[in-house]
Parts: sequence; structure tokens; C-alpha cells
Amino acid sequence: MLSRQPGDRTLPTLITLLVIGVLLMTFDIRSAGGGVTGVLRTGAQTIVAPLQKGAAFVVNPVIDIVDSLSNLATLREQNISLQRDLAEAQAALIAVDDELARLELYEQLYQLEATGTAIGRTVAQVIGQPDPFDGALHIDKGTSSGIAVGQPVIDTNGYVVGSVQQVTKGTAIIVPITVGPDGVAVAVGDQTGVVVPQVARDEMRLDIFEAREPVFAGERVVTSSASVNFPAGYPVGTVTRDAAPSVDSLSTEVMPYVRPDTLRVVVVLAWPPDPVTAVTDTTESEPTTTSTTLGEGSSTSTTGGDG
Amino acid sequence: MRLRSLLIVASLFLISVVLQTTLFSQTEVFTPDLVLLVVILLSLTRIRPELVLGLAFLAGLTIDLLGSAVLGLRAIVFTVVAYLALRSRDRADIGRIITGLWAGLLTFGGVVLLIVVGTLFGQTVLLGEGVVDRLFLVPAANLILALIFAPLLVRLIDRDPTAFRYL
Repeated sequence: MLSRQPGDRTLPTLITLLVIGVLLMTFDIRSAGGGVTGVLRTGAQTIVAPLQKGAAFVVNPVIDIVDSLSNLATLREQNISLQRDLAEAQAALIAVDDELARLELYEQLYQLEATGTAIGRTVAQVIGQPDPFDGALHIDKGTSSGIAVGQPVIDTNGYVVGSVQQVTKGTAIIVPITVGPDGVAVAVGDQTGVVVPQVARDEMRLDIFEAREPVFAGERVVTSSASVNFPAGYPVGTVTRDAAPSVDSLSTEVMPYVRPDTLRVVVVLAWPPDPVTAVTDTTESEPTTTSTTLGEGSSTSTTGGDG
Repeated sequence: MRLRSLLIVASLFLISVVLQTTLFSQTEVFTPDLVLLVVILLSLTRIRPELVLGLAFLAGLTIDLLGSAVLGLRAIVFTVVAYLALRSRDRADIGRIITGLWAGLLTFGGVVLLIVVGTLFGQTVLLGEGVVDRLFLVPAANLILALIFAPLLVRLIDRDPTAFRYL
């Protein structure tokens, strides 16, 4: 048996550290992740990021090989299925090309010009997560690649993942919508509502506060034009159970398309395309936007990118 | 604590942080909390208890700085776990299995505390899908790692080849 026992100063040390910890928590919450704590976070991430990138460079291929070997049979079936899907998608693409050619012709006829508001995209690799309980994702791109706090993040299929919470020169932290403190303003058919995460659940809760008609399982949920954090029209998930309006509100569940912990690559959207204009627009049209921030109100995260 | 021991402890924390945030963030079943495990195992060494508490606080703070939850949350949790480990370490060196169980139990206490304090401070980022599974998977993984590595780590830090030979 070990004979060492904690000395008399152990308890006072513990109490002192606990007090410092609580003060730090309070200070961090009050400063909303900015100020000194923001600088500390950025510094720590800048120091550790090169090591994380190096480790991810070695670890990711190994994990991919192990995953592939353990799922070999499933992958073969998936491959056959995907080849079939690809053939169908290629056929659909040809049809879309025809439509685009027709659209271009009409644009020329009516002398229409593109508005030039195409959203810039930065593809980034997921290099890890802070710990088993923190749902945030570390990515290998930062301010040097044009990433800013608040920018929306999607996966390679265009499904909504989350938004940038913190950013350093070479890395950023993404908080997925499935665990984030804010909801996302969404559209289901022609109704708008908000989806919010639920504790320890895969599904998110969908609330529609001015519901006029029922929603049905399988209906597609996309980001709404009322959203201040995401561009409109990006898929979020599907409704998992039917729900009818009760008085003028409706509540049901949505299964998100994305499982953030399985992501290896994400796409950060440079949205709004022109933050200065967006800020001006938001300020000028404040009465319009205040009604759209039900689930996307002020957050404890650092802000700046959602216009 | 000598410089060599300090360097070993610092290296251990750095390696565990990097492995934690890269390798073990991508494994679904085997999901240890390496940094918490190192904190627990440090209490078995000859490092002064007050220093172990300070190291635990700094280790937690480091993970807080790299994560998205509120700063200080893990610092508090790791410090409390280190204190419990220091108070109960006399029961940990009876045998290898007991050491593993002890580390697993302390980890379980730590993750429960993390969830409770996190919930009180509104940290939804800690309460995503799979949180209930991880409440058990993380201690189980730490138990296995402690079974294997606890004696090695104590011998390395204390530079005592006879430590934890389990009579």
C-alpha cells in the first residue's frame, strides 16, 4: 500500500482552484468568449494546431484503412448502389444542363445579368474534436483562408453542419447545429419555424409558431430566408413524425442529414458575401429581422460573422 | 518535482492532448479521456499533492481553451477528480485490476460532474447525441488503459523501477 497522504494544504489548494475556476467561467460567460479569454483560446489553439495537423496527417489514413477493412462487405454493396445512383444522377445532370442552356438563352433575350452574389466556399479537413463530450469540430483552415467567426458550414453534399465559433490563423472551431446553443430558422413547405437541439437525442425539435397547416413525416426542412446565420435553401433534415397545429403553433421532430462526428471534410461558406453591406442592410431593416431571430438570438459564442 | 519529471509530465500532457483531439476523437467505441486519465494517474506518483491539483487544473484549462465549452469547466472537474484520486490512492495499488477499476470509477465521477456542471452552466455542446453511451464508454476505456499503463507511467515519472510491482 502507498503510505503517502495528501498534506494539510490539499484542501485549501482545491478550494482556491475551484474559486479561480468559477471566476473564469463567470468571466468567460460575461465576456461572451471575447476579450482576454478569446486571446487565450486563440493562443492555445495556435500552439497546438500544428501538432494536431501532423497527428491528423498520420492518424486519418490509418483510421480510414481500419474502417474500410471492418466494413468491407458493406462498402462493396454501397459501391454497387452508388454506381447505380451515379448513372441516374448523370442522366438527371444532362436534363439540368438542358434547362441551364435554356435559362442562359432567356437571360440573353431579356438582357439579364447575374447579381454577383455567389457564395465563396472554403473546403477544410476536420482534424479532431476537443474531447469525447464536446461536440465541436476542429478544422485545418483559419483566417488565412478567409474564414471568419459566424460563417455557416455545410458538408460536401450541401447539408447544414453548423457555424464557425472561433478562428485562428490556421484553424477554426465549428459548433454543429445539433449541439449549438442557438436554433436555426428553417422552412418546411411554405411555413417557417425554428429547429433546436435536444439533450442526448439525435433528432432536433422543430417549432412553428404561426402554423397554418400540418407537417408530415418525410417533409424536407431547409434553411429559411429569415435566417440571420445561414443562407436560404440549404437542407437541414427531414421531419420524422406528423404534426398538426395546436391553436397556432406546431411542434415535431427533425432528423438532421448530418452526423457531425462522422465528418472528415466540411465546406465553410463566405456568407454573407459582403459583411459590410449585410450589416448595413440588417441595421436598416431591423424591424424585419428581429422577428426572425427566434432561435438564432444572441449566443454565448463570439460573434461577428452572421451580420 | 525535478526538471526531468516536469518535462516528462508536460510531454505526457501534450501527447495526450494531441491524441485525444485527433485519434480518439474519431473512434466510436473506444473513447478514452486521456488527459483526465493522466491527471488521475499522476496522483499515484510522488509528486506533491498540491502540485498534482495545480497540474490537473492546468490540464483541464488546456482542454477548455481548445474546446467550445465555457472556460474553466474542465479545469474545475479535473481538479475535483484529482483531489478524489489523492484521497483514495491508498486503495489503488492493491493490484492491477483494482488500479483499473479505481481509475474507471474516478473517470465516471469526472464525466458525471462534467455533465452536471455543464448543464448548470447551459453548455448544450456537451449534451449532444450519444452522451449517455459516452458516460459509460469513456470510463470503460480509461479503465482498460489504466490497467495497462498505470504502473509504467508511475515508474517513468518517479524513476522507480520497483513501483507498482503488485505483490
